Amino acid sequence: MNTSTAASLPTFQAKDFKSDLKPIWCPGCGDFGVLQAIYRALAGIGRAPHDIAFVSGIGCSSRIPGYTTAYGFNSVHGRALPIAQGIKLANPDLLVLVAGGDGDGFSIGGGHVPHAIRRNADITYIVMDNQIYGLTKGQLSPTSPRGLKTVTSEYGSVESPVNPLLYVLAYGANFVAQGTPADMQGLSRVIEEAIRYPGFSFVNVQSPCVTFGAEDVQVKEHRAHMKSLESLGHNPSDRLAAMGLAQHYGTELHTGIFYRNPEPPPTMDGLLRERQQTMAGKGLPRERILDAFVQK
Amino acid sequence: MDDLVVGMAGSGGDGIVSAGESLIAAAAYEGYSAMMTKSFGSQVRGGESSCRVRLATQRVYNPGGLLDVAVALNWEDFLKFGAELPVSGSTVVIYDSKTGVAPADIPLQGVAPREVFAVPIGEMAKQATGTDKAKNTVVLGLIAGWFGIARLSILRGLEKKFARKGAALVQANEKAFILGEQFAKEHPLATPRAMNAPKGTPGKKMLVDGNDMCAAASIFAGCQFFGGYPITPSTEIMQFFTREVWKYGGSALQAEDEIAGIGAAVGASFAGKKAMTATSGPGLSLKSEMMGLASIAELPLVIVDVQRGGPSTGLPTKPEQSDLFTAAFSAHGDVLRPVLAPTSVSDTFDVTVEAFNIAERYQTPVIILSDQEVAQRKETVDPIDTARFTIEERRRPTEAELQDYARFRITEDGVSPISHPGMKGGNYQGAGIEHNEHANPTASGKLHAAMNDKRFRKLAPLKARRDLFHVEGSPNAKLALVGWGSFGGLCREVFARATADGLDVKLMVPWLVYPIAEEIYRDFFASVRAGFVVELSHQGQLYRLLRMFTDVPAGVTSLTRSGANPFQPDEVLAHLRRAAVSLQQPAVSIASEE
Repeated sequence: MNTSTAASLPTFQAKDFKSDLKPIWCPGCGDFGVLQAIYRALAGIGRAPHDIAFVSGIGCSSRIPGYTTAYGFNSVHGRALPIAQGIKLANPDLLVLVAGGDGDGFSIGGGHVPHAIRRNADITYIVMDNQIYGLTKGQLSPTSPRGLKTVTSEYGSVESPVNPLLYVLAYGANFVAQGTPADMQGLSRVIEEAIRYPGFSFVNVQSPCVTFGAEDVQVKEHRAHMKSLESLGHNPSDRLAAMGLAQHYGTELHTGIFYRNPEPPPTMDGLLRERQQTMAGKGLPRERILDAFVQK
Repeated sequence: MDDLVVGMAGSGGDGIVSAGESLIAAAAYEGYSAMMTKSFGSQVRGGESSCRVRLATQRVYNPGGLLDVAVALNWEDFLKFGAELPVSGSTVVIYDSKTGVAPADIPLQGVAPREVFAVPIGEMAKQATGTDKAKNTVVLGLIAGWFGIARLSILRGLEKKFARKGAALVQANEKAFILGEQFAKEHPLATPRAMNAPKGTPGKKMLVDGNDMCAAASIFAGCQFFGGYPITPSTEIMQFFTREVWKYGGSALQAEDEIAGIGAAVGASFAGKKAMTATSGPGLSLKSEMMGLASIAELPLVIVDVQRGGPSTGLPTKPEQSDLFTAAFSAHGDVLRPVLAPTSVSDTFDVTVEAFNIAERYQTPVIILSDQEVAQRKETVDPIDTARFTIEERRRPTEAELQDYARFRITEDGVSPISHPGMKGGNYQGAGIEHNEHANPTASGKLHAAMNDKRFRKLAPLKARRDLFHVEGSPNAKLALVGWGSFGGLCREVFARATADGLDVKLMVPWLVYPIAEEIYRDFFASVRAGFVVELSHQGQLYRLLRMFTDVPAGVTSLTRSGANPFQPDEVLAHLRRAAVSLQQPAVSIASEE
């Protein structure tokens, strides 16, 4: 590495990404850890806050862009991914992050996930998965386990949960990882790797809800039971093995990279930029758009 | 003759629309002012299809009323179009004799057209080309022969059209055309009706439909992003955009649904680019939450709604003007969102550029409320002097403003400088949640009121924009005609005829249909005692909005009917005449009778 060039680049520390807003989260919420991990990951990446667009939907976790110094967009429930893709296609130079909860991503916004994956725009999607609706005070969520008793499932849930890891792997996501705030170092590392991955990348964070979450999903339990995929000898370029391990979602807490396609396919933003460069040529004056209508 | 309205109908495979396309292309090349509307059943293939072509030596504003010429390849299909293809006693009726119907027995109840021709159209096509596929070419020959229109240009068009498929097919179609023409010569009209030649040089006019014009105008206005989802009758906007925008450095996304389509456009606008989406009724319903987001996040955005019959799936292929309420009011909360309606293909260009200018200047979503007729009809348009348009850009923060940047600063005019990702010092959080000047979330009632006030205040100047209203006629006229969208063209035509007949009437065709410009309407209605707001919807939605926001004289009533039931200019004119007569009668005083 040419150190003289590196020295002239502005460098950023985690604190440079921290805004003055005080999070609304409950004390002990897992999302604090995710926020810290994002600060660290962004410091590792080194892009200036103003070159980052951080989009979210609605929910406790969707407040997260406001707690960073990046450009943020706390939009509407479930629609962060389409907005983020619009941003990336409009300006591919930006670093585009998306974050939200399991309800935002896999219930109301679940229909957008497969399409973000198949388009493969270079964005990173972080889901803070707490298996509960926290902001509305404790209802059943799409990742709530069968049998869970909540204010809307007084007698226990009779529905199977969505498995976010299998969901995105099945649709062909090229980078899929999981983390927990119980392992800050590991979490910031997978987020940083996800951002570095060229194309759509997905990080599921088991982020406990201290107020409405079950006892067995709290950070203390995570710390006791989490297993790194690395320690299991998992090869992250093996997609089928990743899918096998992903089936343990809900019973085991695997952390690290499930799948990283070693040959990243082209990104949508990259392909469209090429098309613009080929077709725009020297740049047509805009009034020429009417030429084709003249009846000659 | 200076004006000719031809209506044709057949089965989906008959190529009757293709005949219309050839006719209007030839007429446009020669310099006629022309207009063509198509109407189909909603089948993808087969089913009935029809078109209506109006040719004139002067500019015309609507597709015309009663047909001068009616062509029925078979009667069953023709009759399905009912009032869309109205035949009168002076219509020349041409039909395929293969139908076996005798000229005296044509199934048009209550009408006895003066001239009816049963023509062996299918047989002539077979004689010329070996199959009956060239029926539409025979029809072109008949029309050219009887009405003296664009013979050489039609032949030239046929050659271009079939050239790719080989010389044999070109010759066969020429033969079919000539057979039709000869038939017309051998069976002359009792009252010859030949079109006069158009003025001006050939090869200057554009021929385009409203959807393509809208997409082209958006690119001209600097739109760099389109997000959308296929829906009839607006899809052509996305098709045009996704084909052309790359040449101008922009981008587009066919999204997974209507919500994602507008979502991507909201994102692109947040990223600093001019953006648009297009849809029709059902899609507009789905997009309403995102429109509210764009309003509170103060993001410029253009949303095109090409109206069709509703509610729900309704009549997907037919025009209606029943989305005005939802365009004005959809999205929850206190929202003011400008709505502009083009009245023709030609002014779709102006309205689209204006929509982008308003969106950018006031940082607001703007709806272009088109309708199936304007969007899918083809029209000749004179060359547009693009130099006369000003293209506006959103107000970016200055270096000084970036020192202590407040994205939602409460300014006197309500417009705050807007930054975008990539701009150093402009970092802020866009949000659907209420916010303070620095874009931080708030639940304060006081701030909410201040921000609502700001968001409404910034749009107030729109209501004084007299250039967004076409007003004609004597200022003191007691009789008034109001029409918007495609019915703006209808009303312009009726107005011209009424004025020529000596009626003292004034005309109002608004492009800005919401917010209601109270003062402009107050001035307009000041002298008015009677008149009509002419609309194509069950409720008469503009009339209702006018009643809601301004004083409408009691004698001005709603002249309206459900979509796919067009008014003929004659009908509206008859209403106007009756109203004029009633105005002349002295008012009966109840007191004097007692």
